Amino acid sequence: MSETRETLPAQKAWMSVAQKVGIPLASVVLAIIVGSVIMWTSGYDPVAAFAALFKGSFGGPKQIGDTLLRSTPLILTGLALAYGFRANLFNIGAEGQLFMGGLAVAWLGVAVTGLPWIIMVPMLLLASMLAGAAWAFVPAILKARVGAHEVITTMMFSYIARYIVSWLVVGPLKAPGQIPQTVALPTGAQLPRIQTLFGESTLDALPFLNLGRTHLGIVVALVAALFVWFILKYTTLGYENRAVGFNPWASETGGISVQWTTVKALCISGAFAGLAGAVEVMGVHYRIFDQFSSGFGFTGIAVALLAKNHPLGVIPAAILFGGLTAGAGTMQLEAGVPQKIILIIQALVIFFVAAEEIFKWFIKRRQKEALSHAG
Amino acid sequence: MNRKWRSTIAVLLALTLLVAFVPGCASDDTEEPTTEEPVTEEPKTDIKAAMVTDVGGLGDKSFNDLSYEGLQRAEQELGVEIEVLESREITDYESNIDQLATAGYNPIFAVGFLMTDTVAKVAPMYPDTNFGGVDEFFDPVPSNVVGLNFKEQEGSYLAGVVAGLATLDSFDSKLNSDNTIGFVGGMDIPLIQKFEAGFIAGAKSVNPDVKVISLYAGNFTDIAKGKELGYSLIEQKADVIYAAAGAVGLGTIEACKDKGALFIGVDADQYLTVPDSGDVMLTSMMKRVDNAVYETIKAMVDGSFPGGQIQVFGLAEGGVDLAPYHDFETKVPQAIKDAVESARTDIISGAVTVPEAP
Repeated sequence: MSETRETLPAQKAWMSVAQKVGIPLASVVLAIIVGSVIMWTSGYDPVAAFAALFKGSFGGPKQIGDTLLRSTPLILTGLALAYGFRANLFNIGAEGQLFMGGLAVAWLGVAVTGLPWIIMVPMLLLASMLAGAAWAFVPAILKARVGAHEVITTMMFSYIARYIVSWLVVGPLKAPGQIPQTVALPTGAQLPRIQTLFGESTLDALPFLNLGRTHLGIVVALVAALFVWFILKYTTLGYENRAVGFNPWASETGGISVQWTTVKALCISGAFAGLAGAVEVMGVHYRIFDQFSSGFGFTGIAVALLAKNHPLGVIPAAILFGGLTAGAGTMQLEAGVPQKIILIIQALVIFFVAAEEIFKWFIKRRQKEALSHAG
Repeated sequence: MNRKWRSTIAVLLALTLLVAFVPGCASDDTEEPTTEEPVTEEPKTDIKAAMVTDVGGLGDKSFNDLSYEGLQRAEQELGVEIEVLESREITDYESNIDQLATAGYNPIFAVGFLMTDTVAKVAPMYPDTNFGGVDEFFDPVPSNVVGLNFKEQEGSYLAGVVAGLATLDSFDSKLNSDNTIGFVGGMDIPLIQKFEAGFIAGAKSVNPDVKVISLYAGNFTDIAKGKELGYSLIEQKADVIYAAAGAVGLGTIEACKDKGALFIGVDADQYLTVPDSGDVMLTSMMKRVDNAVYETIKAMVDGSFPGGQIQVFGLAEGGVDLAPYHDFETKVPQAIKDAVESARTDIISGAVTVPEAP
């Protein structure tokens, strides 16, 4: 940080935005270029592949709907990770909190009956956040009190969560029948698909509302992103979160409890991961089973990295990753390119963003640790 | 840490990544459909058959690969056009089926019981398309859907006959004097209980005093758990172990190799799919998903798609069978081979009915 040149505030702000947006954009472009080279050397036509990929992810309302469907949980896990990163916490176990959130909803949604939709749904969403937060609480306390590294503890808790769900869906919560899964949620506990909210005539008049499988969870996710942005920017809670992430010792000196802020940060992160589990259960599967999440908690890490931990940046980042998965089928069908190529492109995006970010993050952390040992 | 050093590392990493990925893709190539080859001499039909894999994807050496084999056979022998879409996520199931249906593929096979709900939901939206659900059970069955189920208990019965007689025998040094055999299950669900029930019934039919110990892993993926269960069974003197547990069974094979016990594989002929397993792999209980898929396509080509039904493929229909003994071919006594044949005849003739639950 040896910036000596004077710049006007407006210019400075503009440059910072350009830098924030520029690096992620550059990594996406680089990933596409390298991905094309890989496809070309493997004997596929990259132009046809990307054309098909685009068609399958943004080619029409139904395709956009599919992209949004897949982006929904990623926005929420991206937020969870970003919020943690802002406090210098790496909540790698978001997947476990997501499972607990999903489990809470799958259980309560069936167990609680007789409530109208308008009360039931917010209650379930809240329950999933509490469940996610509760699952992050023990690692948070361990981190704050004895300094146990959250990467280890949240990860271990994530295994516990997965196995609890595994056990419940073959045991106490198993629905009748062959398949190990819970009983389906009643309509009154579901997040309906957007297109079902409109009548036939409205859909005919406004065809862009034919969003296929996109459900109300996308609204939940967008509101959550705005909410996190507001917390971080305008509230004491967010200020403390950022301050601790930036420099815990200065924050402590300045009268912020680092321990308490750490606990809050990890729990809030867990709450959004739990919410991601809820939208998947309430909007997509209507029940929980062993493999209901496709590693959304882990993809959330990439989303947060690509978004540079900005809560609003999480939205386009999640849409990019959602679009990549949504278009993969079309790419396979029309250009004959195996879906696994998509994994490579995702990995490349992460690689190019992370190559810069991960180094920075560790250097920053090491510097701080060195400082703390010295002081 | 200076900048130059960092960028050097970044470039090196990027290169490693490239080198690592490129051959990976190239070899992937071979698994993908090669639909370009024109089928010239075969009887032409305009049927375009397709399948959607579950998240296991192609290369699972199990249902997905077997279903694909069925498709490929239909391509070669019946001249149908084929396509396969792999699913990476559960969310892909619906969109993959949807895309294939929109693109005019008919019939479409959905592989694995996890797709049951999706098929039931999507099928009515495409009334002119036929669907085949491998390992899927519907109640009621939509009129354009056929559920392809298997009598796993019948094949497992034959495996039980082999195990029940082998544990009394001493044709291999891994067989002990104790009259005990073992079963490792994946999840404790009705589907897997069919394997267990058949195995026990088969063993008891030839060896009424045999002790069969059954253990369940609770999932289909934890290889370490499979090894642990294998050790535990061998410690309790089991000398022939049958596993119906997906990847968990791979761990059990390791345990058998370590501590000296014989193994009976499942789904595919695991002698061929699991490397270096020859010295413990007595035989395998094969689920002929490929036959079921092929037969369904053939029925469709002949104009008689069995829509609205659950088709159950047992021994009689070629839906389940025992794999060859391979390395044990000369060791296994003729008496055991004869007992298997007579059990097969009895099951096919209906003289023996195999239970579905233990």
